[in-house]
Amino acid sequence: MVIGRLYLGIGVGVSVLLALILALGAHGGAEFGQVFPLEDPLFAVMGSTGGLLTFTSDRTKGVFEYLIAYGVPPRTLFLNGLIATATMTAIILGCSMLVGFGVAAGFGVGVNSAVVAKTVVLYTLPMSFAAALFTATVGMIWASISSPRTGMNSPLGLAPLVGIAPTVLVLIVAETVPPADFYYVTAGAATAIVAAVVVLLLLSARLMGRERFLSPL
Amino acid sequence: MQTEPSPPPLGGAPGAPARHRIELDGVSSGYRGNRVLQDVSFVIEEPAIYVVLGPNGAGKTTLFRTLAGILEPYSGTVRIDGIDIAEHAARTRLQYLSHIDGMPDGLRVDEALRFYAGVEGASAPAVERVIGLLGIVELRHRFFSELSQGQKKRVSIARVFLQERSIYLLDEPTSNLDPKLAKEIRDLVLGLSRDDLVLYSSHNLYEAREIGKYVLALRDGKVGYFGRLTDLRPTRYVIGIRADGAEGVLPAASKRGEYFVQELSGPEEVPKIVAELVAKGVRIREVKEMENPLEDLFA
Repeated sequence: MVIGRLYLGIGVGVSVLLALILALGAHGGAEFGQVFPLEDPLFAVMGSTGGLLTFTSDRTKGVFEYLIAYGVPPRTLFLNGLIATATMTAIILGCSMLVGFGVAAGFGVGVNSAVVAKTVVLYTLPMSFAAALFTATVGMIWASISSPRTGMNSPLGLAPLVGIAPTVLVLIVAETVPPADFYYVTAGAATAIVAAVVVLLLLSARLMGRERFLSPL
Repeated sequence: MQTEPSPPPLGGAPGAPARHRIELDGVSSGYRGNRVLQDVSFVIEEPAIYVVLGPNGAGKTTLFRTLAGILEPYSGTVRIDGIDIAEHAARTRLQYLSHIDGMPDGLRVDEALRFYAGVEGASAPAVERVIGLLGIVELRHRFFSELSQGQKKRVSIARVFLQERSIYLLDEPTSNLDPKLAKEIRDLVLGLSRDDLVLYSSHNLYEAREIGKYVLALRDGKVGYFGRLTDLRPTRYVIGIRADGAEGVLPAASKRGEYFVQELSGPEEVPKIVAELVAKGVRIREVKEMENPLEDLFA
């Protein structure tokens, strides 16, 4: 829980800072409108890994073991990890957009509202939630089916990359296509990642027996 | 030492309906397909403390997790009061203490206990009651993560008393506790055992002997012994005699600390040897058994 709050704080702080820098920066509106909606998912993914960390760190705390003993189904614990991740993503996006767009509007930063709105709807929101849930799903399954490890080469250490990598990759690919096709790439990629999450969720029932939630003997 | 791979039901007056009952029938259970428990069967009915013993890896924690419904058996059935453990009604009759703390970090002690009270459906005054019962009033506003190992254990045990149950599964409840607190916990558990079934695992054989009425010894995932503790007979009967003026009467080589150690054929020999020593002018201060019959279960 502590680590979850810490990551949420970092995600909110950094994304809000980015919004402020871009909105109040020397180049003003042009950069804010183009860059902010594209980069916000990176911070949403990073900050929302707190949900994953809270889930995986339980293997040394044993809270899930008690909850299962009290009759809470393991699947509910898994889904609650995803719900926490989605909630954190929503908080980070909400804070950064509220501050970013609020400051931009307050300081009269000129942005193409239609383009920004389209980018937010077809890229920022779907990609943020898709990448965050993908990170959490992969991380929870990976951490559960492997022996507990710590450090940067562990599932926890690598989890943020799992979500950030496809986000960045999509941006790189989207830059190579004609502008008219940009949103097809971003929306398509977000859909593909969501589909991957669904497949992993279906697999999770088979991959993650109850013992996967328990602390080592 | 007797061995009963598949013991008959224990406890309860013949013909009298048992108030509570734990029944395992051919249970195999474990992790990732590895069968830690193998074909374990027993029935428990009599309110008492059943000490679960066994070397590391014998399957004690796996047995507790299976009884608590945390692990699903690969085969066999676990029934609590006749109800399959997979059903929620069976779980509401159990109280489980894991070998690890199981407390959420980032919460203060009273917050953590209220969290579990909510999960268990315990009343709000129950939290205050267990805080007083376990003597953790001074800890209630401290973060759980800041507590010492012993303090954490006390808080963890407090959770067991949040909601009254009929069956208690206590996995090493006194580990990490100082002797005084360990005794207090044992006294609380003894109180529970008057009306309830208590399964209690421990590596402390003297503690096990002090509180246990029955012993369930696991070895390599199987039941090595299940029966009354008083029915256990050590392979060697060894006594220690602490006495003044015993030098020259008893062999000096037999001295272990303050005690002269003597191996006898059985307890019936004790009065005879005591009488002989007294007759020789030895002033006996204490005679005690030097070998715990439970040690044989680990041999």
